[in-house]
Amino acid sequence: MMEPPNDFMDRIVRRETHSSRAVLAGIAALIISLLAIYALLEAILRAVGQPPWLVDPLSAAYALADLPAGISPLLLGVLGVVLLMVGLIFFLNGVLPGRRARHTLPGGRAAVVVDDEVIASALARRARLAAGVIPEQVMVVVSRREIVVNVRPTSGIRVDEAAVRAAVEQEIRTMALTPEPAVRVNLSTAGVIGV
Amino acid sequence: MNGTPRGLNRVLLTLIGLLFLAAGALALALATAPAAVRWWQGWARPAADQLSGLAARTRLPGNGGSWIWIIVSVLLVLVVVGMVAWVANQGKGRANILADEYDEDAAPGSVAISGAVAEQALKDALAERTDLVGATVTTYDVHGQPGLKVRVLPRQGVSPREVAEDVSALVEALDVVVGVRTPVLISIGAGARSRFTRAERVR
Repeated sequence: MMEPPNDFMDRIVRRETHSSRAVLAGIAALIISLLAIYALLEAILRAVGQPPWLVDPLSAAYALADLPAGISPLLLGVLGVVLLMVGLIFFLNGVLPGRRARHTLPGGRAAVVVDDEVIASALARRARLAAGVIPEQVMVVVSRREIVVNVRPTSGIRVDEAAVRAAVEQEIRTMALTPEPAVRVNLSTAGVIGV
Repeated sequence: MNGTPRGLNRVLLTLIGLLFLAAGALALALATAPAAVRWWQGWARPAADQLSGLAARTRLPGNGGSWIWIIVSVLLVLVVVGMVAWVANQGKGRANILADEYDEDAAPGSVAISGAVAEQALKDALAERTDLVGATVTTYDVHGQPGLKVRVLPRQGVSPREVAEDVSALVEALDVVVGVRTPVLISIGAGARSRFTRAERVR
């Protein structure tokens, strides 16, 4: 039996924990295609000597060249801002790393990637059992480097913060997440009545 | 794990983003700054005149069209074709064959194992579990090498470590059956179904 090479698996895990930008690529391709198809229509109409549909290419070039004339400055400014926003979205999506909310677990045979949501719900369950409260009183937020456990105790019943922290930390140790997050436990000062 | 061209996505998105940013900055500058207006008209007016002159010089005999519109049309067709090809390449990479080997000593001839073998076996084994609301297994072709992706959706509160261990054990059992160790990725996630079904209280 041949063992798959290690950098091959690393590559796959990297691809799973980073966004592929496939959706935005589709949107960008659609926008560019629509613009190109419209320009194509006008160019062909011009080439075969037919009247233009909306504007013929030469008039469009002159209108662009005379630009602040012929359009209200407010409209032009708003158009500029909208174009800037769209451009910024595309540009940042192209440049930023685009990490997805996922952690990796050490796997023996297979590489394991876990959504942060699943980690959060497992930790919430542990924290809930340690604190002795109902699920609605615990909220866990998992980010790349930090896990925040928020507990709202039942009014009049003390919740042992150290016990909650120990339970959550023990669960995280068994998971052995990469990257390893730090744990913060917040006990709400206001209690909940009627649970 | 699929063959989406990520590098190309990044490069094209960055280029298109820069294009839009430049157009937006120009429009904003023309709307607000008189200096930008002077610079733009000093540059764009002669450029438009040049284009008009070029169109007049390359006039087609007969109907008043020009060669440059035909060239522009061809370029635009190439752009559209390129965009279609770009979209068509997103999410490619599904494969059918899990293993294909020509082994001299064991059986004569070549042996091919369909990806459906692994997919059905793992799916069936995972369907019995009550702590999972769903499981999908797909075979991908990663740079010419087959790989399995196991996506499981556990119920709320289920420990991902236990799920990972159990699925790993299933994969090892599959290794023995199939006789090939394919690379496997286990992806444990939350979907709409795991979010809105009840949490598992008893195990």
